[in-house]
Amino acid sequence: MNAQLDNPPETAILEIAPETVKLAIKDLNFFYSGKQALFDINVSFAANGVTALIGPSGCGKSTLLRVLNRMYGLYPGQKATGQVLLDGEDVLSPRVNVAALRARIGMVFQKPTPFPMSIYDNVAYGVRLYETLSKADMAIRVEDSLRRAALWDEVKDKLQQSGLGLSGGQQQRLCVARGIAVKPEVLLLDEPASALDPISTARLEETIAELKADYTIVIVTHNMGQAARLSDHTGFMYLGKLIEFGETEQLFTNPVTSRARDYITGRFG
Amino acid sequence: MDDHTVTAVDSDLARLSHAVAAMGDLAVAQVRAAVDVFSRHDLPAAAKVVRGDDALDIQDAAIERSAVRFIALRQPVADDLRRPIAAMKIAMQLERCGDLAKNIGKRVARMDTAGGEAQVADIVALGQLAAERLSAVVNAYRQGDAQAAYTVWLKDTEIDERHDSVVQGIVSGMINKPGSVGDGTHLLFIAKNLERIGDHATNIAELVHYQITGQDLAESPRPKL
Repeated sequence: MNAQLDNPPETAILEIAPETVKLAIKDLNFFYSGKQALFDINVSFAANGVTALIGPSGCGKSTLLRVLNRMYGLYPGQKATGQVLLDGEDVLSPRVNVAALRARIGMVFQKPTPFPMSIYDNVAYGVRLYETLSKADMAIRVEDSLRRAALWDEVKDKLQQSGLGLSGGQQQRLCVARGIAVKPEVLLLDEPASALDPISTARLEETIAELKADYTIVIVTHNMGQAARLSDHTGFMYLGKLIEFGETEQLFTNPVTSRARDYITGRFG
Repeated sequence: MDDHTVTAVDSDLARLSHAVAAMGDLAVAQVRAAVDVFSRHDLPAAAKVVRGDDALDIQDAAIERSAVRFIALRQPVADDLRRPIAAMKIAMQLERCGDLAKNIGKRVARMDTAGGEAQVADIVALGQLAAERLSAVVNAYRQGDAQAAYTVWLKDTEIDERHDSVVQGIVSGMINKPGSVGDGTHLLFIAKNLERIGDHATNIAELVHYQITGQDLAESPRPKL
Protein backbone atom coordinates (compact mmCIF):
# COMPACT_ATOMS: atom_id res chain seq x y z
CA MET A 1 0.00 0.00 0.00
CA ASN A 2 2.74 2.43 0.92
CA ALA A 3 5.27 1.29 -1.63
CA GLN A 4 5.51 4.85 -2.85
CA LEU A 5 6.50 6.06 0.60
CA ASP A 6 8.85 3.24 1.43
CA ASN A 7 10.71 3.24 -1.83
CA PRO A 8 10.23 6.36 -3.92
CA PRO A 9 11.80 6.23 -7.38
CA GLU A 10 14.84 8.38 -8.20
CA THR A 11 13.14 9.82 -11.25
CA ALA A 12 9.57 9.90 -12.54
CA ILE A 13 8.92 11.18 -16.04
CA LEU A 14 5.37 11.23 -17.35
CA GLU A 15 5.02 10.38 -21.03
CA ILE A 16 2.39 12.59 -22.58
CA ALA A 17 0.05 11.29 -25.27
CA PRO A 18 1.96 11.15 -28.60
CA GLU A 19 -0.74 13.09 -30.48
CA THR A 20 -0.33 16.07 -28.13
CA VAL A 21 3.46 16.33 -28.40
CA LYS A 22 4.87 19.54 -29.88
CA LEU A 23 8.46 19.32 -28.68
CA ALA A 24 10.11 15.98 -28.02
CA ILE A 25 13.52 15.92 -26.36
CA LYS A 26 15.45 12.70 -26.79
CA ASP A 27 18.71 11.68 -25.11
CA LEU A 28 19.76 15.28 -24.81
CA ASN A 29 23.19 15.98 -23.32
CA PHE A 30 24.73 19.42 -23.24
CA PHE A 31 28.33 20.48 -22.71
CA TYR A 32 30.10 23.78 -22.35
CA SER A 33 33.82 24.35 -21.86
CA GLY A 34 34.25 20.60 -21.42
CA LYS A 35 31.70 20.45 -18.60
CA GLN A 36 28.42 18.60 -18.88
CA ALA A 37 25.40 20.72 -17.97
CA LEU A 38 22.52 18.48 -19.06
CA PHE A 39 22.36 14.71 -18.70
CA ASP A 40 20.18 12.37 -20.77
CA ILE A 41 17.06 14.49 -20.89
CA ASN A 42 14.10 12.59 -22.30
CA VAL A 43 10.78 14.36 -22.15
CA SER A 44 8.02 15.75 -24.35
CA PHE A 45 6.14 19.01 -24.09
CA ALA A 46 2.50 19.30 -25.12
CA ALA A 47 1.09 21.59 -27.78
CA ASN A 48 -1.25 24.32 -26.55
CA GLY A 49 -0.11 23.82 -23.02
CA VAL A 50 2.16 25.50 -20.55
CA THR A 51 5.10 23.52 -19.24
CA ALA A 52 6.97 24.94 -16.27
CA LEU A 53 10.57 24.05 -15.47
CA ILE A 54 11.56 24.45 -11.86
CA GLY A 55 14.65 23.63 -9.83
CA PRO A 56 17.40 25.27 -7.81
CA SER A 57 19.82 27.74 -9.42
CA GLY A 58 22.28 25.99 -11.67
CA CYS A 59 20.09 22.92 -12.20
CA GLY A 60 20.08 23.41 -15.98
CA LYS A 61 16.55 24.64 -16.56
CA SER A 62 17.60 27.84 -18.39
CA THR A 63 20.23 25.85 -20.28
CA LEU A 64 17.54 23.43 -21.42
CA LEU A 65 15.42 26.36 -22.57
CA ARG A 66 18.36 27.79 -24.53
CA VAL A 67 18.95 24.47 -26.25
CA LEU A 68 15.37 24.38 -27.51
CA ASN A 69 15.88 27.29 -29.90
CA ARG A 70 19.65 26.83 -30.21
CA MET A 71 20.39 30.02 -28.37
CA TYR A 72 23.46 28.20 -27.05
CA GLY A 73 24.91 28.35 -30.55
CA LEU A 74 25.66 32.02 -29.92
CA TYR A 75 28.40 31.01 -27.51
CA PRO A 76 31.62 29.22 -28.51
CA GLY A 77 32.54 25.85 -27.06
CA GLN A 78 28.98 24.71 -26.41
CA LYS A 79 27.68 21.45 -27.75
CA ALA A 80 24.41 19.57 -27.60
CA THR A 81 23.96 15.89 -28.46
CA GLY A 82 20.69 14.04 -28.88
CA GLN A 83 17.55 15.34 -30.51
CA VAL A 84 15.02 18.11 -30.00
CA LEU A 85 12.12 17.32 -32.29
CA LEU A 86 9.77 20.15 -33.20
CA ASP A 87 6.82 18.45 -34.89
CA GLY A 88 9.19 15.57 -35.58
CA GLU A 89 11.97 17.68 -37.09
CA ASP A 90 15.29 17.78 -35.25
CA VAL A 91 16.12 21.41 -34.46
CA LEU A 92 19.67 20.43 -33.46
CA SER A 93 20.43 19.25 -37.00
CA PRO A 94 23.13 21.41 -38.67
CA ARG A 95 20.84 21.71 -41.70
CA VAL A 96 18.31 23.76 -39.76
CA ASN A 97 18.20 27.48 -40.54
CA VAL A 98 18.67 28.94 -37.07
CA ALA A 99 17.06 32.31 -37.88
CA ALA A 100 13.96 30.56 -39.23
CA LEU A 101 13.96 28.25 -36.21
CA ARG A 102 13.93 31.20 -33.81
CA ALA A 103 10.92 32.61 -35.63
CA ARG A 104 9.17 29.31 -34.86
CA ILE A 105 10.47 29.15 -31.31
CA GLY A 106 10.44 32.59 -29.73
CA MET A 107 11.99 33.56 -26.42
CA VAL A 108 11.42 36.14 -23.70
CA PHE A 109 14.20 36.71 -21.22
CA GLN A 110 14.43 37.39 -17.52
CA LYS A 111 15.14 41.07 -17.87
CA PRO A 112 13.01 43.08 -20.29
CA THR A 113 15.05 43.75 -23.41
CA PRO A 114 13.18 46.34 -25.47
CA PHE A 115 15.08 47.69 -28.48
CA PRO A 116 15.97 51.40 -28.34
CA MET A 117 13.21 52.31 -30.75
CA SER A 118 9.50 53.12 -30.68
CA ILE A 119 6.95 50.80 -29.13
CA TYR A 120 5.52 50.18 -32.59
CA ASP A 121 8.91 49.36 -34.13
CA ASN A 122 9.82 47.10 -31.25
CA VAL A 123 6.94 44.85 -32.26
CA ALA A 124 7.31 45.33 -36.03
CA TYR A 125 11.08 44.80 -36.11
CA GLY A 126 11.07 41.02 -36.00
CA VAL A 127 8.14 40.76 -38.41
CA ARG A 128 10.05 42.78 -41.02
CA LEU A 129 12.88 40.22 -40.88
CA TYR A 130 10.63 37.38 -41.94
CA GLU A 131 7.68 38.87 -43.78
CA THR A 132 6.85 41.71 -46.12
CA LEU A 133 3.60 43.21 -44.94
CA SER A 134 1.74 46.25 -46.20
CA LYS A 135 1.63 49.20 -43.83
CA ALA A 136 -2.00 48.43 -42.98
CA ASP A 137 -1.32 44.74 -42.40
CA MET A 138 1.66 45.58 -40.24
CA ALA A 139 -0.46 47.95 -38.16
CA ILE A 140 -2.97 45.14 -37.65
CA ARG A 141 -0.19 42.71 -36.69
CA VAL A 142 1.30 45.17 -34.19
CA GLU A 143 -2.07 45.92 -32.62
CA ASP A 144 -3.00 42.25 -32.44
CA SER A 145 0.32 41.36 -30.81
CA LEU A 146 0.04 44.18 -28.29
CA ARG A 147 -3.54 43.17 -27.49
CA ARG A 148 -2.53 39.54 -26.97
CA ALA A 149 0.27 40.67 -24.69
CA ALA A 150 -2.32 42.68 -22.72
CA LEU A 151 -0.44 45.92 -23.37
CA TRP A 152 -2.53 47.60 -26.09
CA ASP A 153 -4.76 49.67 -23.85
CA GLU A 154 -1.78 51.11 -22.04
CA VAL A 155 0.25 52.07 -25.13
CA LYS A 156 -2.23 52.64 -27.98
CA ASP A 157 -1.91 56.42 -27.69
CA LYS A 158 1.88 56.47 -27.58
CA LEU A 159 3.01 53.89 -30.10
CA GLN A 160 5.70 56.19 -31.45
CA GLN A 161 7.28 56.77 -28.04
CA SER A 162 10.38 54.82 -27.06
CA GLY A 163 9.88 51.33 -25.66
CA LEU A 164 12.51 52.19 -23.07
CA GLY A 165 10.11 54.69 -21.48
CA LEU A 166 7.70 51.96 -20.34
CA SER A 167 7.65 50.50 -16.85
CA GLY A 168 9.41 47.19 -16.23
CA GLY A 169 6.18 45.23 -16.40
CA GLN A 170 5.11 46.99 -19.59
CA GLN A 171 8.54 46.42 -21.14
CA GLN A 172 8.26 42.72 -20.40
CA ARG A 173 4.82 42.53 -22.01
CA LEU A 174 6.27 44.49 -24.96
CA CYS A 175 8.88 41.73 -25.29
CA VAL A 176 6.08 39.14 -25.23
CA ALA A 177 4.27 41.14 -27.95
CA ARG A 178 7.50 41.25 -29.98
CA GLY A 179 7.94 37.51 -29.48
CA ILE A 180 4.45 36.61 -30.65
CA ALA A 181 4.36 39.16 -33.52
CA VAL A 182 6.41 36.79 -35.69
CA LYS A 183 3.76 34.11 -35.02
CA PRO A 184 5.98 31.50 -33.42
CA GLU A 185 4.69 28.05 -32.58
CA VAL A 186 6.57 27.79 -29.32
CA LEU A 187 7.23 30.52 -26.79
CA LEU A 188 10.09 30.09 -24.32
CA LEU A 189 9.94 32.28 -21.24
CA ASP A 190 12.98 32.49 -18.98
CA GLU A 191 11.95 33.89 -15.60
CA PRO A 192 9.74 36.46 -17.32
CA ALA A 193 8.22 37.86 -14.12
CA SER A 194 11.21 37.88 -11.80
CA ALA A 195 11.67 41.65 -12.13
CA LEU A 196 7.97 42.53 -12.02
CA ASP A 197 5.70 43.73 -9.23
CA PRO A 198 2.69 41.54 -8.28
CA ILE A 199 0.18 43.39 -10.49
CA SER A 200 2.45 43.27 -13.55
CA THR A 201 3.15 39.62 -12.76
CA ALA A 202 -0.58 38.90 -12.62
CA ARG A 203 -1.11 40.65 -15.97
CA LEU A 204 1.75 38.70 -17.54
CA GLU A 205 0.37 35.44 -16.14
CA GLU A 206 -3.05 36.29 -17.55
CA THR A 207 -1.38 36.93 -20.90
CA ILE A 208 0.39 33.58 -20.80
CA ALA A 209 -2.84 31.79 -19.87
CA GLU A 210 -4.54 33.34 -22.90
CA LEU A 211 -1.65 32.66 -25.28
CA LYS A 212 -1.79 28.99 -24.40
CA ALA A 213 -4.71 28.53 -26.76
CA ASP A 214 -2.42 29.15 -29.74
CA TYR A 215 1.09 28.41 -28.57
CA THR A 216 3.19 25.82 -26.85
CA ILE A 217 4.72 27.60 -23.89
CA VAL A 218 7.70 26.57 -21.81
CA ILE A 219 8.41 28.74 -18.79
CA VAL A 220 11.39 28.64 -16.46
CA THR A 221 10.52 30.05 -13.07
CA HIS A 222 11.87 30.22 -9.55
CA ASN A 223 8.42 31.15 -8.34
CA MET A 224 6.77 27.91 -7.35
CA GLY A 225 3.38 29.55 -6.99
CA GLN A 226 3.68 30.84 -10.52
CA ALA A 227 4.50 27.37 -11.85
CA ALA A 228 1.52 25.96 -9.95
CA ARG A 229 -0.85 28.68 -11.18
CA LEU A 230 0.22 28.77 -14.80
CA SER A 231 1.32 25.41 -16.01
CA ASP A 232 -0.33 22.19 -17.10
CA HIS A 233 2.86 20.18 -16.71
CA THR A 234 5.85 20.79 -14.51
CA GLY A 235 9.38 19.47 -14.75
CA PHE A 236 11.70 19.50 -11.76
CA MET A 237 15.41 19.58 -12.57
CA TYR A 238 18.42 19.02 -10.34
CA LEU A 239 22.12 18.98 -11.20
CA GLY A 240 21.45 18.89 -14.93
CA LYS A 241 18.97 16.02 -14.75
CA LEU A 242 15.24 15.98 -15.14
CA ILE A 243 14.13 14.32 -11.91
CA GLU A 244 10.36 14.51 -12.15
CA PHE A 245 7.99 15.54 -14.89
CA GLY A 246 4.25 15.27 -14.57
CA GLU A 247 0.95 17.01 -14.35
CA THR A 248 1.32 20.17 -12.32
CA GLU A 249 -1.51 19.25 -9.99
CA GLN A 250 0.12 15.91 -9.19
CA LEU A 251 3.56 17.43 -8.71
CA PHE A 252 2.35 20.09 -6.32
CA THR A 253 -0.03 17.94 -4.30
CA ASN A 254 1.70 14.58 -4.23
CA PRO A 255 5.09 14.49 -5.92
CA VAL A 256 6.48 11.04 -6.65
CA THR A 257 10.20 11.59 -6.04
CA SER A 258 11.53 12.69 -2.69
CA ARG A 259 13.83 15.26 -4.33
CA ALA A 260 10.92 17.04 -5.99
CA ARG A 261 8.94 16.88 -2.76
CA ASP A 262 11.81 18.28 -0.73
CA TYR A 263 12.34 21.07 -3.24
CA ILE A 264 8.75 22.26 -3.57
CA THR A 265 8.17 22.12 0.17
CA GLY A 266 11.41 24.00 0.84
CA ARG A 267 13.38 21.16 2.39
CA PHE A 268 16.27 21.28 0.03
CA GLY A 269 19.81 21.42 1.36
CA MET B 1 11.61 14.09 5.64
CA ASP B 2 14.50 16.54 5.73
CA ASP B 3 14.32 19.69 7.80
CA HIS B 4 12.70 22.68 6.21
CA THR B 5 15.00 25.48 5.11
CA VAL B 6 12.76 27.85 7.06
CA THR B 7 12.83 26.26 10.50
CA ALA B 8 9.62 28.03 11.55
CA VAL B 9 7.73 25.83 9.07
CA ASP B 10 8.84 22.68 10.86
CA SER B 11 8.12 24.13 14.29
CA ASP B 12 4.67 25.38 13.18
CA LEU B 13 3.84 21.93 11.81
CA ALA B 14 5.20 20.18 14.91
CA ARG B 15 3.07 22.42 17.15
CA LEU B 16 0.01 21.73 15.05
CA SER B 17 0.53 17.94 15.16
CA HIS B 18 1.14 18.11 18.88
CA ALA B 19 -2.10 20.04 19.41
CA VAL B 20 -4.09 17.52 17.34
CA ALA B 21 -2.59 14.54 19.16
CA ALA B 22 -3.30 16.17 22.54
CA MET B 23 -6.87 16.88 21.47
CA GLY B 24 -7.11 13.24 20.38
CA ASP B 25 -6.02 12.06 23.83
CA LEU B 26 -8.63 14.26 25.43
CA ALA B 27 -11.35 12.98 23.09
CA VAL B 28 -10.40 9.37 23.92
CA ALA B 29 -10.49 10.24 27.63
CA GLN B 30 -13.94 11.82 27.24
CA VAL B 31 -15.29 8.75 25.43
CA ARG B 32 -13.84 6.42 28.08
CA ALA B 33 -15.24 8.60 30.85
CA ALA B 34 -18.68 8.65 29.19
CA VAL B 35 -18.71 4.84 28.99
CA ASP B 36 -17.55 4.64 32.60
CA VAL B 37 -20.19 7.02 34.02
CA PHE B 38 -22.80 5.13 32.01
CA SER B 39 -21.74 1.78 33.46
CA ARG B 40 -21.80 3.10 37.02
CA HIS B 41 -24.79 5.41 36.50
CA ASP B 42 -22.67 8.04 38.24
CA LEU B 43 -24.57 11.32 37.91
CA PRO B 44 -21.96 13.75 39.28
CA ALA B 45 -19.30 12.20 37.03
CA ALA B 46 -21.73 12.44 34.08
CA ALA B 47 -22.05 16.17 34.69
CA LYS B 48 -18.26 16.38 34.63
CA VAL B 49 -18.14 14.64 31.23
CA VAL B 50 -20.68 17.16 29.92
CA ARG B 51 -18.57 20.08 31.14
CA GLY B 52 -15.37 18.45 29.87
CA ASP B 53 -16.52 18.86 26.27
CA ASP B 54 -15.88 22.62 26.31
CA ALA B 55 -12.13 21.99 26.24
CA LEU B 56 -12.46 20.02 22.99
CA ASP B 57 -14.47 22.80 21.36
CA ILE B 58 -11.78 25.31 22.33
CA GLN B 59 -8.99 23.07 21.03
CA ASP B 60 -10.81 22.49 17.75
CA ALA B 61 -11.14 26.23 17.19
CA ALA B 62 -7.49 26.81 18.10
CA ILE B 63 -6.29 24.09 15.69
CA GLU B 64 -8.39 25.54 12.90
CA ARG B 65 -6.95 29.01 13.53
CA SER B 66 -3.38 27.69 13.53
CA ALA B 67 -3.92 25.69 10.35
CA VAL B 68 -5.51 28.59 8.49
CA ARG B 69 -2.72 30.88 9.65
CA PHE B 70 -0.07 28.38 8.53
CA ILE B 71 -1.66 28.02 5.08
CA ALA B 72 -2.03 31.78 4.65
CA LEU B 73 1.47 32.67 5.76
CA ARG B 74 3.52 29.73 4.51
CA GLN B 75 1.63 28.82 1.34
CA PRO B 76 2.54 25.17 1.72
CA VAL B 77 2.34 22.53 -1.02
CA ALA B 78 2.35 18.72 -1.16
CA ASP B 79 3.05 17.05 2.23
CA ASP B 80 3.26 20.43 3.96
CA LEU B 81 -0.21 21.32 2.67
CA ARG B 82 -1.76 18.00 3.58
CA ARG B 83 -0.69 18.35 7.20
CA PRO B 84 -2.69 21.48 8.12
CA ILE B 85 -5.64 20.28 6.03
CA ALA B 86 -5.62 16.91 7.80
CA ALA B 87 -5.13 18.61 11.19
CA MET B 88 -8.21 20.76 10.66
CA LYS B 89 -10.37 17.89 9.50
CA ILE B 90 -9.17 15.50 12.21
CA ALA B 91 -9.85 18.14 14.87
CA MET B 92 -13.37 18.46 13.51
CA GLN B 93 -13.89 14.69 13.78
CA LEU B 94 -12.54 14.70 17.34
CA GLU B 95 -14.82 17.57 18.24
CA ARG B 96 -17.79 15.50 17.03
CA CYS B 97 -16.60 12.55 19.15
CA GLY B 98 -16.59 14.96 22.08
CA ASP B 99 -20.16 16.02 21.32
CA LEU B 100 -21.25 12.38 21.23
CA ALA B 101 -19.53 11.65 24.56
CA LYS B 102 -21.17 14.74 26.04
CA ASN B 103 -24.53 13.54 24.78
CA ILE B 104 -23.98 10.19 26.54
CA GLY B 105 -23.25 12.12 29.74
CA LYS B 106 -26.52 14.05 29.38
CA ARG B 107 -28.52 10.88 28.76
CA VAL B 108 -27.02 9.14 31.79
CA ALA B 109 -28.26 12.07 33.89
CA ARG B 110 -31.77 11.64 32.51
CA MET B 111 -32.03 7.87 32.93
CA ASP B 112 -33.82 6.42 35.93
CA THR B 113 -31.51 3.42 36.21
CA ALA B 114 -28.35 2.20 34.56
CA GLY B 115 -30.42 -0.27 32.50
CA GLY B 116 -30.48 -4.05 32.50
CA GLU B 117 -27.23 -5.78 33.41
CA ALA B 118 -26.78 -7.56 30.09
CA GLN B 119 -27.59 -4.44 28.10
CA VAL B 120 -25.15 -2.36 30.11
CA ALA B 121 -22.41 -4.94 29.60
CA ASP B 122 -23.07 -4.97 25.84
CA ILE B 123 -22.99 -1.18 25.56
CA VAL B 124 -19.86 -0.93 27.70
CA ALA B 125 -18.13 -3.47 25.45
CA LEU B 126 -19.23 -1.48 22.39
CA GLY B 127 -17.98 1.73 24.02
CA GLN B 128 -14.65 0.19 24.93
CA LEU B 129 -14.21 -1.00 21.36
CA ALA B 130 -15.02 2.48 19.98
CA ALA B 131 -12.62 4.12 22.47
CA GLU B 132 -9.95 1.60 21.55
CA ARG B 133 -10.33 2.38 17.84
CA LEU B 134 -10.21 6.09 18.49
CA SER B 135 -7.15 5.67 20.66
CA ALA B 136 -5.44 3.51 18.02
CA VAL B 137 -6.03 6.08 15.30
CA VAL B 138 -4.86 8.95 17.50
CA ASN B 139 -1.66 6.96 18.09
CA ALA B 140 -1.33 6.29 14.36
CA TYR B 141 -1.55 10.04 13.84
CA ARG B 142 1.01 10.76 16.53
CA GLN B 143 3.45 8.20 15.10
CA GLY B 144 2.77 9.13 11.47
CA ASP B 145 1.93 5.47 10.86
CA ALA B 146 -0.16 5.02 7.70
CA GLN B 147 -0.21 1.24 8.12
CA ALA B 148 -1.69 1.49 11.62
CA ALA B 149 -4.33 3.92 10.32
CA TYR B 150 -5.13 1.49 7.52
CA THR B 151 -5.58 -1.32 10.07
CA VAL B 152 -8.15 0.75 12.01
CA TRP B 153 -9.91 1.58 8.76
CA LEU B 154 -10.17 -2.11 7.83
CA LYS B 155 -11.94 -2.93 11.11
CA ASP B 156 -14.75 -0.40 10.69
CA THR B 157 -17.47 -3.01 10.15
CA GLU B 158 -16.79 -4.74 13.48
CA ILE B 159 -18.27 -1.84 15.44
CA ASP B 160 -21.26 -1.64 13.10
CA GLU B 161 -22.01 -5.31 13.58
CA ARG B 162 -21.68 -5.11 17.34
CA HIS B 163 -23.95 -2.06 17.36
CA ASP B 164 -26.62 -3.96 15.46
CA SER B 165 -26.60 -6.78 18.00
CA VAL B 166 -26.66 -4.30 20.92
CA VAL B 167 -29.71 -2.60 19.39
CA GLN B 168 -31.48 -5.95 19.08
CA GLY B 169 -30.84 -6.59 22.78
CA ILE B 170 -32.20 -3.20 23.79
CA VAL B 171 -35.29 -3.56 21.63
CA SER B 172 -36.00 -7.05 23.05
CA GLY B 173 -35.67 -5.56 26.52
CA MET B 174 -38.21 -2.86 25.71
CA ILE B 175 -40.63 -5.42 24.29
CA ASN B 176 -40.35 -7.60 27.37
CA LYS B 177 -40.60 -4.72 29.78
CA PRO B 178 -42.73 -1.88 28.34
CA GLY B 179 -42.02 0.26 31.42
CA SER B 180 -38.40 0.49 30.35
CA VAL B 181 -39.09 2.22 27.04
CA GLY B 182 -37.97 5.60 28.36
CA ASP B 183 -34.56 4.36 29.50
CA GLY B 184 -34.42 1.96 26.55
CA THR B 185 -34.64 4.89 24.14
CA HIS B 186 -31.69 6.52 25.88
CA LEU B 187 -29.80 3.24 25.58
CA LEU B 188 -30.49 3.15 21.83
CA PHE B 189 -29.09 6.65 21.43
CA ILE B 190 -26.07 5.87 23.60
CA ALA B 191 -25.32 2.82 21.46
CA LYS B 192 -25.79 4.87 18.32
CA ASN B 193 -23.43 7.55 19.65
CA LEU B 194 -20.76 4.94 20.27
CA GLU B 195 -21.23 3.53 16.80
CA ARG B 196 -20.83 7.06 15.41
CA ILE B 197 -17.61 7.48 17.38
CA GLY B 198 -16.37 4.37 15.58
CA ASP B 199 -17.29 6.01 12.26
CA HIS B 200 -15.32 9.12 13.23
CA ALA B 201 -12.32 6.93 14.09
CA THR B 202 -12.59 5.46 10.58
CA ASN B 203 -12.77 8.94 9.06
CA ILE B 204 -9.70 9.96 11.04
CA ALA B 205 -7.92 6.82 9.79
CA GLU B 206 -8.62 7.98 6.23
CA LEU B 207 -7.28 11.45 7.03
CA VAL B 208 -4.12 10.11 8.66
CA HIS B 209 -3.51 7.89 5.67
CA TYR B 210 -4.14 10.78 3.28
CA GLN B 211 -1.84 13.09 5.19
CA ILE B 212 1.02 10.62 5.06
CA THR B 213 0.61 9.10 1.59
CA GLY B 214 -1.47 11.61 -0.36
CA GLN B 215 -3.77 8.73 -1.26
CA ASP B 216 -7.46 8.58 -0.51
CA LEU B 217 -8.46 5.37 1.28
CA ALA B 218 -12.14 6.11 0.76
CA GLU B 219 -11.57 5.46 -2.96
CA SER B 220 -10.14 2.00 -2.43
CA PRO B 221 -12.37 -1.01 -1.85
CA ARG B 222 -12.38 -2.32 1.69
CA PRO B 223 -11.32 -5.97 1.60
CA LYS B 224 -13.61 -8.38 3.39
CA LEU B 225 -12.12 -9.53 6.68
